[in-house]
Amino acid sequence: MDSKQILAADSIVQIEDLSFSYSGKQIYSHLSVNFPRGKITAVLGPSGTGKTTVLRLIGAQLRPDSGTVKFDGADMHRLGRRELYRTRRKMSMLFQSGALFQDMTVFENTAFPLEVHTLLPKEIIRDIVLMKLEAVGMRGAASLYPSELSGGMARRAALARSIALDPELIMYDEPFVGQDPITKGVLVKLICDLNNALNLTSIVVTHDVREIMEVADYVVILAEGSVLGQGTPEEIRGSSDPRVVQFINGDFDGPYAFHLKGRGNYLEDL
Amino acid sequence: MISNFLGSLGRYFLKKLTALGRSSMMMASAVFARPDFRRHSVLLVNEIYFIGVQSVIIILVSGLFIGMVLGLQGFNILKDFMATGSLGTLVALAIIRELGPVVAALLYAGRAGSALTAEIGQLKASEQISAMEMMAVDPLHRIIAPRFWAGVISLPILSILFAVVGIYGGKFVGVDWLGLDDGIFWSAMQNSVDLAEDVVPMLIKSVVFAVVCTWIALFNGYDCRPTSAGISSATTATVVQSSLAVLGLDFVLTALMF
Repeated sequence: MDSKQILAADSIVQIEDLSFSYSGKQIYSHLSVNFPRGKITAVLGPSGTGKTTVLRLIGAQLRPDSGTVKFDGADMHRLGRRELYRTRRKMSMLFQSGALFQDMTVFENTAFPLEVHTLLPKEIIRDIVLMKLEAVGMRGAASLYPSELSGGMARRAALARSIALDPELIMYDEPFVGQDPITKGVLVKLICDLNNALNLTSIVVTHDVREIMEVADYVVILAEGSVLGQGTPEEIRGSSDPRVVQFINGDFDGPYAFHLKGRGNYLEDL
Repeated sequence: MISNFLGSLGRYFLKKLTALGRSSMMMASAVFARPDFRRHSVLLVNEIYFIGVQSVIIILVSGLFIGMVLGLQGFNILKDFMATGSLGTLVALAIIRELGPVVAALLYAGRAGSALTAEIGQLKASEQISAMEMMAVDPLHRIIAPRFWAGVISLPILSILFAVVGIYGGKFVGVDWLGLDDGIFWSAMQNSVDLAEDVVPMLIKSVVFAVVCTWIALFNGYDCRPTSAGISSATTATVVQSSLAVLGLDFVLTALMF
C-alpha cells in the first residue's frame, strides 16, 4: 500500500493549519498532517522539534495559537471540559516515563481506569486486568509496585493500563528510550500485535528509526515547525531530500549542522 | 528609568493577577464540581488521615508548650499586680481567640501545606497528572477536591485540639507548678469565655485559614515547574504565602469580629 492509498483512507486525527508557540518560541507554523485510522504512524524528527508536543496537542493538554486538531471528527480544543474528558476515553497515551501511579501496584494501576469509568463488578475488573497484563507479558508482576520494576517492565505495565479501556487511539511517547535491544524488540512486537489484534490506531513518537521502520505503516518526519517528509517507510528510505536522508541515516553532519551557530569567531573566542 | 520601574511593577502585578485568576479557576472547578460520593469518600478519608490525623502530634505538643509558656509569663506578670486569679481568663482567651487558630494554621501550613505542595508537584513532575488527564480522569476532581475538603475539615478540629491542650498547659504551670488555686483558674476561665463571642469566632477564623492555606498549597503544587528546583521553590512559596496570609487575615478577622 503506498502513501496515497493510506491517506485516501479515513483519518482518525486531522491537524490543520496548526500554529503553536511556547514561551515565545514558535514550535509549529501552519502544520497540517493527518494520521490514518487503523495504522501505525511513526513520528520522527530531530530532538527539540516538538514531537511530544504534537501528542499533547492531540490530547488537548496543550492549546494551539491557531488551527484545529480533530480526533474522530471532534475539534479537541473547542470541546467543553466534560465533553473533552468523555472524548479522551477513546484515546490513551504511553508516557516516556510510564507515569505509573507510584502508590499502586501494577494490578491496581491497570484496574484504575476501569474502576473510575465503569461500574463493572470487582471480579470482572480482575479478569480484564489479568487479560491485559497477560497481553503485555506482565501478569507475573501484578503485585509489584512501580519502584520494583525495571524501565522496560514499567513501560509494559503502563501499556497494559493504556489498553484497559480498549481505546481507539494509542499515542506512544518515546517508548524505546533507555531500553536494551531485547526490550526494544518486545515493545516493537507489542505495539504491532496490539495494533492489529485490537484494531487500534497507533502514533509512535520516537528517535529509534530502525526499530519503528520495521512495523510502521506510515512515517511523518517533523522538523523546523512543519512536515519535512511523509510517506510509507519505503518512500521515506527512497527520499532524495538531504535533510530526510541525514536523519534516516543518522549522519552526524549535513543540512542539520553539527556545530550550533555561535557568535563571533571560534579562534577569537579562544 | 522611572518608566522601566513602572513597567516592571506593572508586569509583576499582572503576573500575580494572572496567577490569582488561574488559582481561582482551579479551585472553582475542583470545589463546585458534582461530587461523586461513592468514589471520592474513600479519597477524602485518606486525605483527612494524611492532612489531619498525622498533624495531631505536632499540634498537641506545640499547644502544650505554648500554653505552658503563656501560663508562666502570665503568672509572673499578673503576680506584680496581685491578679494571678485572672490567669485562667488570660490563658483561655489568648489561646481561643488568637493563638489557637493562628498557630494551628501556621503549623498546618508548615507540615500539611508544604507536604501537599510537594506531593502534587511530584505527581506533576512524574507525569502522573498528565497520565490521569489522558485517562479521562479530571485531576481537579480526583486530586485537588479531596485534599481541599480534607483541609477544611481538619484544621478547625486541629485548632480545637490545640486550644484544649494549650489551656491544660497553662493550668499545669499556673496551678500544678506555681500553686494557683484550681477552682480560681477554672472559674475565671468559665466566667470569661463565651461560646458565641469567643469559640464561634475561633472556628470561623480556622475555617478561613483552612480554605486559604489549602488553596495556596494546592495551587502552588499544581502550578509548579515540574522539576526538583520547581517543587522546592513551590514548597517554600506555600509556607511563606500561607504564613503571611494567615497573619494578615487574622488582623482583618479580629477587627471584624471582636
